[in-house]
Amino acid sequence: MEDLPEEVQGLIEELDEAAEDEDLDKIEDLTQKLLKTGVDLEAITLKKLSFLVMEGEEEMAQGWTRVAIQVGLDPFKTLIEGLAEGMNLIGKKYEQGEAFVPQLLIASSAMYSGMDLLEPYLKREKGHTSKPVTVVIGTVEGDVHDIGKSLVKTLLSANGFNCVDLGNDVPASKFIEAAKENRATAISMSTLMTTTMAEMPRVIKMLKEEGIRDKVMVMVGGAPVTTEYASQVGADVSPHDAASAATWLKSSVNDFPPECERWN
Amino acid sequence: MVAEMTSKERVLAMLNRKQVDRIPAITGSTMVKEYIEKSGGSWPDYHSNAEMMVNTAGLMHTDAGLDNVVVPFGMFIESHALGLDVKMGRIDIQPSVRSFFSKPEEVKYDNFLEDKYVKTTLDAIKLAKEKFPDAAITAFLVAPVTLAGDLMGAENLSMLSIKCLQKEKQMQKMKEWISVALEINKIYARACIEAGADALYYSDASASPNLVMPEFYYEIGVPAEKELGDFVHSLGCPWELHICGDTTPIVEGMSATGANCLSVEQAVNMSEVTKIAGEVPVVGNLTPLLMVEGTEEQITGAVRKALDGGAKGSMLGCGTPPLSTSDRLKTWVKAVADWSAEKL
Repeated sequence: MEDLPEEVQGLIEELDEAAEDEDLDKIEDLTQKLLKTGVDLEAITLKKLSFLVMEGEEEMAQGWTRVAIQVGLDPFKTLIEGLAEGMNLIGKKYEQGEAFVPQLLIASSAMYSGMDLLEPYLKREKGHTSKPVTVVIGTVEGDVHDIGKSLVKTLLSANGFNCVDLGNDVPASKFIEAAKENRATAISMSTLMTTTMAEMPRVIKMLKEEGIRDKVMVMVGGAPVTTEYASQVGADVSPHDAASAATWLKSSVNDFPPECERWN
Repeated sequence: MVAEMTSKERVLAMLNRKQVDRIPAITGSTMVKEYIEKSGGSWPDYHSNAEMMVNTAGLMHTDAGLDNVVVPFGMFIESHALGLDVKMGRIDIQPSVRSFFSKPEEVKYDNFLEDKYVKTTLDAIKLAKEKFPDAAITAFLVAPVTLAGDLMGAENLSMLSIKCLQKEKQMQKMKEWISVALEINKIYARACIEAGADALYYSDASASPNLVMPEFYYEIGVPAEKELGDFVHSLGCPWELHICGDTTPIVEGMSATGANCLSVEQAVNMSEVTKIAGEVPVVGNLTPLLMVEGTEEQITGAVRKALDGGAKGSMLGCGTPPLSTSDRLKTWVKAVADWSAEKL
């Protein structure tokens, strides 16, 4: 941004302020002014969006999403290269021990605030994507902790996965039903407490009993869950954190039979 | 050589940084299914029946050999007494809080001590004192940051923990929540001490770096815990502070609260945190799951590792899992006694 002409930089700063104040008229007006300068507003907007999501600036991320809509930026590009990119950036920082959970949460709020505005435009576009891979996700029965699970969901969504969120305190049978109903590719179970870890092998046992264990990949995670535990209970993986879960699943789906092959 | 002590003397000596005859083995939560069944308790009655509660918790002392008797069985009492929804769990799952308030003004606590679970806790403390005079009767309570998190919702706490560092208005909001939590904490603490608790065990699970910013803990968490701790000390009672997760970045702050001992999880390196904590005794660090499926060798190895790392008390890193078995609990206590005989 430093390379931009002073006039443009000034307008961007004014737009940041208008976005923070949620002054919609001013955002519209400043967007017009920026367009008239002839700068590459698409590149600037995407960069701003990813940065603002990473910083957890909810109002500003929303304001710049309005800019993207006003200038007619491709909504999928706005989502993937702007909003979701910001979530991935903070996810990577967290993975490297350079960020904390609250930073992921405010980034997640910022991303979703922009996504809410984009949603009507995303629906209008057809034939834009192939069917997304579905992940059934939830916190196991007896555990009401949502945060870790929601972060995994956010990172998976940011990476293009379709998440069926069962919430928290989810009975084992619900995981099975949802996996069947949605022809899921993966089940992601989370728990924060040692006291409820035993629910994870219960779900895996039920998958086997139902004869669908090989149709889904099983990810288990949460503070007390280790790689050894995951392998002991028959899960496929226990990613270190939310960002690693998305990275692992992205690479693993390539080697996994496609949905039609598994579920037919 | 220190003369043989009772369990209570041993725990209090550790908390007061005095010599002990052997390292105390203590616990946080004690809702162990095997002991509930053995003592004739039934779910969910043992949460509201002081006799059932004490009979179960007492087996941790008389059967397993632990040095304290801890009541109540979960971190839901305060929230229930304030009118929040609580799901009672199962015999092997502790109750959990299911709702929260929108703003601090909504929290009403005039009748806090009238709540049936609060009353059960107080009755259980009195009864435990009568039945087990040689054990350290310990009240298991929710500390201020975690209580504030229960009041406003854990996710809101987490997000506010960063926003309040950035904006004064958000800081004011955070301080209002903490202030309400502290008022409630003090009412409950006083009642527990008056009922005869020998020590208060405070879990500030949500003050963990896994949930809130460490800077927030130093700026808000430490002063809040210290304020509560000073109040507890003014009533003549020692207190223990537990925080979950990898607490290495905040142990220095935990040490500054005035807590008589710090309880840490298995995620930390005991040698490292005991160095940071200095004179303040550190306990904990044992993986709770060892009590469910650990072998004798694994349990003994973990106990010795924590004690070699400088722990002044042996404790699980988090609560005692409900599916813990009595033979494993006994193996734990024996390992503590053996280490003490060899190295103290």
